[in-house]
Amino acid sequence: MTELLRVENLTKKFDELIAVDNCSFSVEEGSITALIGPNGSGKTTVFNLITGYLPSNGGTVEFAGSPIHGQSPGTLYRKGLTRTFQQARVFADLTVQENLVVAGGGSWTNLFGRRITAEDRARAAELLDEFKLSHVADLYASELSWGQRKLLEFASVLMSKPRLVLLDEPTAGVNPILIETMATHIRSYNAAGVTFLIVEHDMSFVMRVCDPVIVLDRGKTIAMGNPETVQSDPRVLDAYLGD
Amino acid sequence: MHTLVQGVILGVLTGGVYALMASGQTLIFGVMKVVNLAQGAFVIASAYLAFTLFTQFGIDPLVAVLITTPLMFGIGVVGHWLFLRPLRREDATELSILITFALALLVEGILSITYRTTYRSINTSYANKAFDVAGFSVSAVRLYGFIVSCALLLLLYVILQKTRFGRAIRATVQNPQSATLLGVDSNRVKAYGFGLGIATAAASGSIYGLLFPFNSGSHYDLISRLLSVVVLGGLGSIGGAVLAGVIIGVVSSVAAVTWSPTWSEMTFFVVLILVLLIRPQGMFGRVERGAL
Amino acid sequence: MKLSKQGASPFFTRAGLTRGGVFIVALIVMPQLFPQHWIWNMMFFTVLYAAMSVSWNLVGGFAGYPSLGHAAFFGIGAYAMASLFKSTHILTNGWQPFFVMPLIGLGCAVIAIPIGYIAMRVRADVFAIVTITLLFVAQTLGYNLKGLTGGAQGAGLSVAPFRLDIFEQPFYFAAAFLLLLAMGIAYFVTKTKLGMALTSIRADEDKARGVGVRTTGVKVMAFAVSVGITGMAGGIWAYYLGFIYPQFAFDPLITIAIVLMTFLGGRATVWGPVLGAAILMPAQQLLAYYVGGSQIYLIAYAAIFLLIMLLLPRGILPTFLNKRRMASMATKGDLSGVSTSPVATGGINS
Repeated sequence: MTELLRVENLTKKFDELIAVDNCSFSVEEGSITALIGPNGSGKTTVFNLITGYLPSNGGTVEFAGSPIHGQSPGTLYRKGLTRTFQQARVFADLTVQENLVVAGGGSWTNLFGRRITAEDRARAAELLDEFKLSHVADLYASELSWGQRKLLEFASVLMSKPRLVLLDEPTAGVNPILIETMATHIRSYNAAGVTFLIVEHDMSFVMRVCDPVIVLDRGKTIAMGNPETVQSDPRVLDAYLGD
Repeated sequence: MHTLVQGVILGVLTGGVYALMASGQTLIFGVMKVVNLAQGAFVIASAYLAFTLFTQFGIDPLVAVLITTPLMFGIGVVGHWLFLRPLRREDATELSILITFALALLVEGILSITYRTTYRSINTSYANKAFDVAGFSVSAVRLYGFIVSCALLLLLYVILQKTRFGRAIRATVQNPQSATLLGVDSNRVKAYGFGLGIATAAASGSIYGLLFPFNSGSHYDLISRLLSVVVLGGLGSIGGAVLAGVIIGVVSSVAAVTWSPTWSEMTFFVVLILVLLIRPQGMFGRVERGAL
Repeated sequence: MKLSKQGASPFFTRAGLTRGGVFIVALIVMPQLFPQHWIWNMMFFTVLYAAMSVSWNLVGGFAGYPSLGHAAFFGIGAYAMASLFKSTHILTNGWQPFFVMPLIGLGCAVIAIPIGYIAMRVRADVFAIVTITLLFVAQTLGYNLKGLTGGAQGAGLSVAPFRLDIFEQPFYFAAAFLLLLAMGIAYFVTKTKLGMALTSIRADEDKARGVGVRTTGVKVMAFAVSVGITGMAGGIWAYYLGFIYPQFAFDPLITIAIVLMTFLGGRATVWGPVLGAAILMPAQQLLAYYVGGSQIYLIAYAAIFLLIMLLLPRGILPTFLNKRRMASMATKGDLSGVSTSPVATGGINS
């Protein structure tokens, strides 16, 4: 089992506040790993650090064996590392279909080609069908419901056939049926070879879908293991209930 | 050598005013994440106000600060409520730029109609007085202006550090989401923060009017200079803005005495370019690629 | 814009071609119907400003980077033309300067690349002030580089040797050509992935970077093209006037006008800025005729600006198109997937 992502002694300070404190963990290729922890434990900050949205104050991050510290989100995207955001960021002024096509990547000459080629349409159609968004393909992303946006965002980061997808609270604000849909998609893409690292608060989702589970508290890794072990780890209980 | 030191002294004194103006601008940015393109216009408006108070009522501009500042604070709060609050969240940043720009134009238009476009300056009795300090000439106007700027910056510091309102502002600047969780009313903070920023423009207007000739169109020049200061200091950092104001003040002043006054105006522009090229976040700004 | 279900998105649609054709005919025919000099003059400025607005739209509307100092490049183009007149004899028949125009455009576009690269490293609002600074610097240089520009005395170009009774016409057609060029480019942008890339930058630049969009290259390209066209407009204007002064070549009112025209008509659309220019230019002439004095412009512009921002932020065209789209979707019953939450009531742009 190879390590696809390796984080070592990652640190991030915001003035006096230490958001991420010598945090270390690794993600195995082919896994669906969860990253959990109480509010303020630094989970999203870790995501931002890994994906190049924030510079760190120390530590290293390795993706597929090579260091990716300080590389821009675009570069990482092209290397196969993508992410979603807590607030389901989509391009409000583009249609659903265009949201997918624009995330499809492509060379410079591609830019001068047709807005949507036949291949674009086909590839996007695949994802639209899978995520049951075909009927809203021509709507602008601003016209979608919250749940639809989350699905769209998820679908768009899959357009480039990534190796590792970081999901930031995919089930937040989403109804239970849609949560199941998300879980199904995650499992099926995982079976096809995509590794997932998921920040989540929904414990039942984590229990059902993820293995292993990494626990952060106040910017440090305090536990790592399969869901059952972590659930009964006293340090974890302490972190959630203690403060 | 003498001219050099003279230039430095002049630069520090002038830098104080820039520091004051820039601190308001960077404060507004910190609270609202919007660069206020109307900051210069409000400084000029306040300079005109001080001018009127002086020519019509004989009130010294530095004393007029006591009148103009609360007035401008109020205008700032109302302006925010009228024009900036109603923006839908999606468009907010983009439209805010244009709205503050439109506000600047509105102010310029009103000023040009009220006062015409002739250049004005506030000529108090001590306008040409200078002190001799250890062989160096220190202009009275600049010295008083500097003292008042420092006093106001100190006041700003106290407000931000010691009052509950100030703490709310700082919390919002640091992390808007956590601040709301802690019970801070973000709308209030934005409105009053904006007002506070405009209030510093008011205060600096009096001093500006004493130091430089101005007309309704001067805000373009001024906003460009303020941007250089704010970018050098780092967007959102008041301490940075203060330090940057003094630095740029000194550099441009030294350039003026050693090279030429016309080209010394380019200093601001050159500094801006250099900062953007070498270190876009400035001295104390945060490098955030807008994730959150 | 309904996309066909199969195949690639079309470059030309029958409706689009018709519109284009009618417009070109109108451009040629309309001024002939009212052959007074002041009409030709007004149409010249309308078309010139329309061209500048359409090209400003590329960077200010599509990409979301409002260049508030764009007049700097207008002035640079104007002075480039003036210095060409000074240094070479390009005035043989009156038409030669028009053929030099593309060179000016290209020159402006090339110098815009490094400028854009530096200026666009920052957020859109900081970019706005950087361009204001650029305008201010250009103006200062215009006043002070006396050897090159003649300073406050202004710079003269030779008067064009056209017959007095049709004097404005060649300039009008040159401007019309520029407008068609600008619209052609804008149209091309919307029909290719460039348009999507620019829109994604405006919608959420960080996310765009995160999904691999080549944000820097695309932004700088849009900026350079926009500057090139604006520079050419400046050149035509300089030739038309025959004598230029720095305060008019580098006049902030120019930028304000084109920004307003773009936003009034509808940013991020091809026709929006044209509509805006068609409304605002005649209105401005009317206002000047009845009230006079340039100060009132500022307040009028500012007031219109604020009204648009607050009431009709997308501009006339997109709002109208969106209403039509919503209506047609409602009748077809396609609204099942549409959310009625507050965030969903935006307009359309692409």
